[in-house]
Amino acid sequence: MWLQIKLALEQSTTRFLTHFAGLLPGLVAFLLAIIVSIVIAIVLAFLVRRLLKSLQFEEHLSQWGLSSMAEWSPMNRPTLLVSRSIALLVIVIGFVIGIAAFDAQWTAALAQTVLAYIPNIIGATLVLLVGAIVARFLGRSVLIGAVNMNLQYARLLSVGVKWMVIVLAVAMALDHLRIAQGIVELAFGILFGGIVLCLSLAVGLGSKDIVTKSLERDARRSSSEVYEDPLRHL
Amino acid sequence: MDFAATTEGTRQGIERRSEHENLETDSISRQVRETTAAIDSADLVVGILGGVDHDGFTGICDGLRTLAGSPRVAVLQAEAATGQPISGAGTDGGPSLFFMSWPNADTAGAATVSIAAAYHSVFMAAEQLQTRACCVFSSQIEGTKPAWIGQFAQGLLENEADLVLAHYARHKFEGLLNVSIISPLMRSLYGKRIQNPMGPDLGTSQRLFRPVLTAEEKNGGGGVHALATLAPSAVCGNLRVREMYCGPRVYRPTDWTNVSSLLSAVLTPVFLEMERNAACWQRVRGSAPVPVAGERAWVSQDSEKLDVQRMVESFQLGNRELQEIWSLVLPPTTLLELRKLLRLTPEEFHMNDALWARIVYDFALAHRLRSISRDHLIRSMTPLYLGWAASYAREVQDAGPLDVEQRNERLAAAYESAKPYLLSRWRWPDRFSP
Repeated sequence: MWLQIKLALEQSTTRFLTHFAGLLPGLVAFLLAIIVSIVIAIVLAFLVRRLLKSLQFEEHLSQWGLSSMAEWSPMNRPTLLVSRSIALLVIVIGFVIGIAAFDAQWTAALAQTVLAYIPNIIGATLVLLVGAIVARFLGRSVLIGAVNMNLQYARLLSVGVKWMVIVLAVAMALDHLRIAQGIVELAFGILFGGIVLCLSLAVGLGSKDIVTKSLERDARRSSSEVYEDPLRHL
Repeated sequence: MDFAATTEGTRQGIERRSEHENLETDSISRQVRETTAAIDSADLVVGILGGVDHDGFTGICDGLRTLAGSPRVAVLQAEAATGQPISGAGTDGGPSLFFMSWPNADTAGAATVSIAAAYHSVFMAAEQLQTRACCVFSSQIEGTKPAWIGQFAQGLLENEADLVLAHYARHKFEGLLNVSIISPLMRSLYGKRIQNPMGPDLGTSQRLFRPVLTAEEKNGGGGVHALATLAPSAVCGNLRVREMYCGPRVYRPTDWTNVSSLLSAVLTPVFLEMERNAACWQRVRGSAPVPVAGERAWVSQDSEKLDVQRMVESFQLGNRELQEIWSLVLPPTTLLELRKLLRLTPEEFHMNDALWARIVYDFALAHRLRSISRDHLIRSMTPLYLGWAASYAREVQDAGPLDVEQRNERLAAAYESAKPYLLSRWRWPDRFSP
């Protein structure tokens, strides 16, 4: 019996070592691909940083109204964000090449999945970009309009509008990326529905007196200003 | 009626009209052509817009009948001015008046954009009829005598001036936008001391309204505003500008919910014009008065105590909440001075003239550079304008007419003194950007 156990162990060890020996070249190739891609990524990131710096990329970004990109960037430098993104992309490509060394079938399947997903990534990026721009524009419009209407909670309104648009854009982007679609839809619905319900209850119940007084004050002001205020602008 | 003269006039009118067919491109052009087909030509076109009531209209017509010689005058009237249109009329001897109902002239209560379109349509009618001069009356002026109207138009017909503007007798709290920005800015930029560079009651010669019309059509109407472009075009073209004293103008009541829209509608064309004429105003130094005709009238400056608290509160709210936007437009020194004003109570609130002049210049520059959306830019200026208005109102509360004149003169001088600041920032925006 011990002989049979010994034989089984020897066979499994042989199978494992044989299989491992078969994988070893692929593993070495994988590690080599990762190392080479890291080196290329570092060099490319350095070149991209130099290029963007010479093109005054960060200054142009603030002129284009995208200075908030600096807030998302490491060390508040969009140049670093771009260069590191490119470096990450190169490393991912190296990873994919490394995977191909194990089994061509795996690579084909992976490549197919990745390529099919790229339009979603592009679409989601565009949605986020447009959402950020629209959020900024609307937030600013609401802020200026509310200040000109003498509303003390102007900034709160502006921030609220901005974040609502951003949340909408993020939900749309996640939906586009097909990430936890059901959860995102449900969470978004609950969030927005909850916000609208809260506002309705606040205005209808909690702030009824404030709104009434505010409207009365505005009505008194608009009727008295037309006839009594001597100031004429134009 | 002299049939020979009419036939000759018809022939000449047809010839002139054919030369200008290529100018007619839009619906206003079509309407102008249809309505002016009733007469062949005229020496003077007078547009009476919707701000003039029936008495004012009658006074203007009486004034036109005092014109020397026998000019043919086409009167374009808004239906609101008379209650119902009057068509075709002429008088024997003296000026011949031809009345035409003019839908584009009905601007009572309209936004300033449609007012610009009304002026544009009157200029087009003048061009269509090949007149020597064109007058537009848009506001109700108290105590307007017929002789004033006659003098107003006579100078244009006799080629003594190319642009005639009304110099109103004004209460200290009237025309604040003009007092605070338009008049001193135009004075500082173009070197001419004009009380109301944007009218609205004005007269132009063919030498002025024709290039303005061409510029409007070349730009497709985009950004060229008839009222904002007349005075700068006249000064930059070395044309003769004159003012006429007249009585007090009736102003519309202030709509406090719409001050930002008013600022946007008025200042946008002014800043665009500034950008367009940069090559002209950068060479100008100092200013000179323009000839003024007529007898000056004064109005009582008495008024009730004005409560500036609301305007100060608007300014303070803007100062707290709009710093992020103002920091894109104003340099740190200006922002610091504005923050100091936060500590002042309404009773001691005062905005320095030099500070205000620099703020206006900074906004004009930001408008040119498109630092932020232009509409947002001008609207964000509203709290600053209300702050200035509060400071001004507090200062002139108990002032007499001469004190008010001196006060306005000091403000205009501040604009002129700050012009080098504007020139530096305009020429090197990167070096001086906030």
